[in-house]
Amino acid sequence: MTKPLADVAPAATRREFLRAAATVGAAAAAPYVITSKALGDATTPPASDRIVMGGIGIGNMGKGDQGAFLNRPDVQYVAVCDVRQKWREEGKARADAKYGNQDCAALIDFRELLSRDDIDAVHIATPDHWHAIMTIAACRSGKDVYLQKPETLTLHEGPLMIAAARRYGRVVSGGSQRVLGDYRGIVDPIWAGEIGNVKSIDISVGGPSMPCYLPAQPTPPDIDWDLWLGPAPWEPFNSGRCDGNYGTGGNSWRSYVDYSGGSLTDWGAHHFGGAIFAADLRELQPTKVTYHPAAADGKTAAYMSVTYPNGTELFHNRPAHLRPAPSVAHQGAIQVAGDGKPRAAKPVPQYRNGESNIYGDFIECAKTRQRPFRDIELAVNTMTTPHMIAIGYRLERSLTWDRASQQFKNDEGANRLLDRARREPWSIS
Amino acid sequence: MPFDLTTLDEPLKTLAAYDWGADAAPFKAIDAAVIAAHADKALRAELEKRFTDLLGGGTTRAAKEYVCRKLMMIGTATSVPALAALLGDSDNSHMARFALERIPVPEAGNALNKALATVSEPLKVGMISSLAARRDPACVTALTALLKGSPLLAIPAANALGSIHSAEAVQALAAADPFAGEGVGEAIVNARLACAEAFLAGGKRTDALAIYQALAKAASGKPDAKAVELAATRGILTCADAVAAAS
Repeated sequence: MTKPLADVAPAATRREFLRAAATVGAAAAAPYVITSKALGDATTPPASDRIVMGGIGIGNMGKGDQGAFLNRPDVQYVAVCDVRQKWREEGKARADAKYGNQDCAALIDFRELLSRDDIDAVHIATPDHWHAIMTIAACRSGKDVYLQKPETLTLHEGPLMIAAARRYGRVVSGGSQRVLGDYRGIVDPIWAGEIGNVKSIDISVGGPSMPCYLPAQPTPPDIDWDLWLGPAPWEPFNSGRCDGNYGTGGNSWRSYVDYSGGSLTDWGAHHFGGAIFAADLRELQPTKVTYHPAAADGKTAAYMSVTYPNGTELFHNRPAHLRPAPSVAHQGAIQVAGDGKPRAAKPVPQYRNGESNIYGDFIECAKTRQRPFRDIELAVNTMTTPHMIAIGYRLERSLTWDRASQQFKNDEGANRLLDRARREPWSIS
Repeated sequence: MPFDLTTLDEPLKTLAAYDWGADAAPFKAIDAAVIAAHADKALRAELEKRFTDLLGGGTTRAAKEYVCRKLMMIGTATSVPALAALLGDSDNSHMARFALERIPVPEAGNALNKALATVSEPLKVGMISSLAARRDPACVTALTALLKGSPLLAIPAANALGSIHSAEAVQALAAADPFAGEGVGEAIVNARLACAEAFLAGGKRTDALAIYQALAKAASGKPDAKAVELAATRGILTCADAVAAAS
């Protein structure tokens, strides 16, 4: 029997109190746990400079994230949490091997991890349907959060996650390591002003997720299936439903609408994130979503576009023959066309304090209480675009977005798709 | 050209007996009809009738789930009785809410509110969650009554009142104990902070400030309430920033 989410709150508040008492009036929020290496040594900072971390969802991407944090001398990694026994045990083994002890806790239920007062920050790499619930719970428990992309599964979740981060003064970083790292070929010339103002962006990436009709299989004993499903509709176990591989063709959770937005939001988080960062659109949300139906000749498939308040248009899978000549491009995935007019160069935003990757950026911000490179607000803004595109495809029509109300204008059908009811006892209110 | 409803006869017959793993190809026709129904009132009404008929006895859980997903998209007040009948059934309660939560008619909220009084305690949590999502002010009285009961319900009720943040909800939260045990107090404080943020976002700085000041006063001098005092102080400063920005 699982407890309601809010049962983590008492411990959260004690922790918040202790942290608040320790840090009020100061810029930094240091961990208060005293470890056996509290004073540090030649290669390890003292405990007061270390961030105590745990990981939730420790397979595939979680494994990579854990490795990145484990390798940092300013992180003390103390707990892993996964509903799958294999991932849990392997995650614990990696941490224990790193530290040469058996101290890493291996937990099934994330609420147990969040209730620990000694943990400062968590990384979350579960399937997407858990992201909002866990992030909000972590904030309420006084934890900073590094959250794998795509940060949201629905449009409604984003503002609630931002509110939780701000209300509890938490550092919440989105988790696309590629946005700054992989797209410099388009980022640098655009920020240098070399192509003028960005007029249009073409992104080529797969489409939305699909319904899952897989048959029931016997539930293996090494998974807590009810907790894997969590807020998603109850469905019978099938290994293809919950496998964490990166495919979206039907043999992974990334394929299915209850758990993921499909390629459109999965790889899309990288490509849309890179393009939106390159074009400096991270503060904006689209105002128009346009459905371009398939041509009657059968040669042109349906595609979508969005329009930003500054007039920039972003297209998803626009046929090549309809695109303008690109000014800059990233492989075959992103093409950007500028107007060529003179534009002043701007410095490209970087990770904090010279950190070389997004993990270091997060840890630096956890220490200094700055907002990270992919602050949750910027991540949410970015993800609004593929989510809106997905709704446009699903309804096969164009939409108009009102950012202030976070609603589509004059379209109650589209507004029904802003969120979905969560299975009890889960809630994000 | 009107949608040819006869094309749905076989798919709907298949649907009635559908179980996970069976051929779902016939559903493509139903999915297409649901999309077309947005611009075709007659089709929508006919589809809704056929869907609600399927929610009665004799159909599988998987079939009911599929139907609820479709009614989430096109359901109206007509669907509400059939969906409401499933709210007390632990196998189907969530999927009934899956539809009802998103159907923007008062009848859907009334059904959830009514079920809140009758379904089992675990399912009540779901009703509260959906009422919160709908921000339905009509349920404030029922939610307020839950604040002094079991934490299992008091906590989500407090969260829901924070989401609704109507005048009555704010009043109910103000009257509740922000230091109640077993997590209830923390939920009440969180909900009051959410109300204050909603007021601030709506330009109601005075109302927001009143909440922050009340919380700061309640927490003052209580060592265990430093976090509340800190959050309230942060809110008071935000209100001051709002005044400065407006002047």
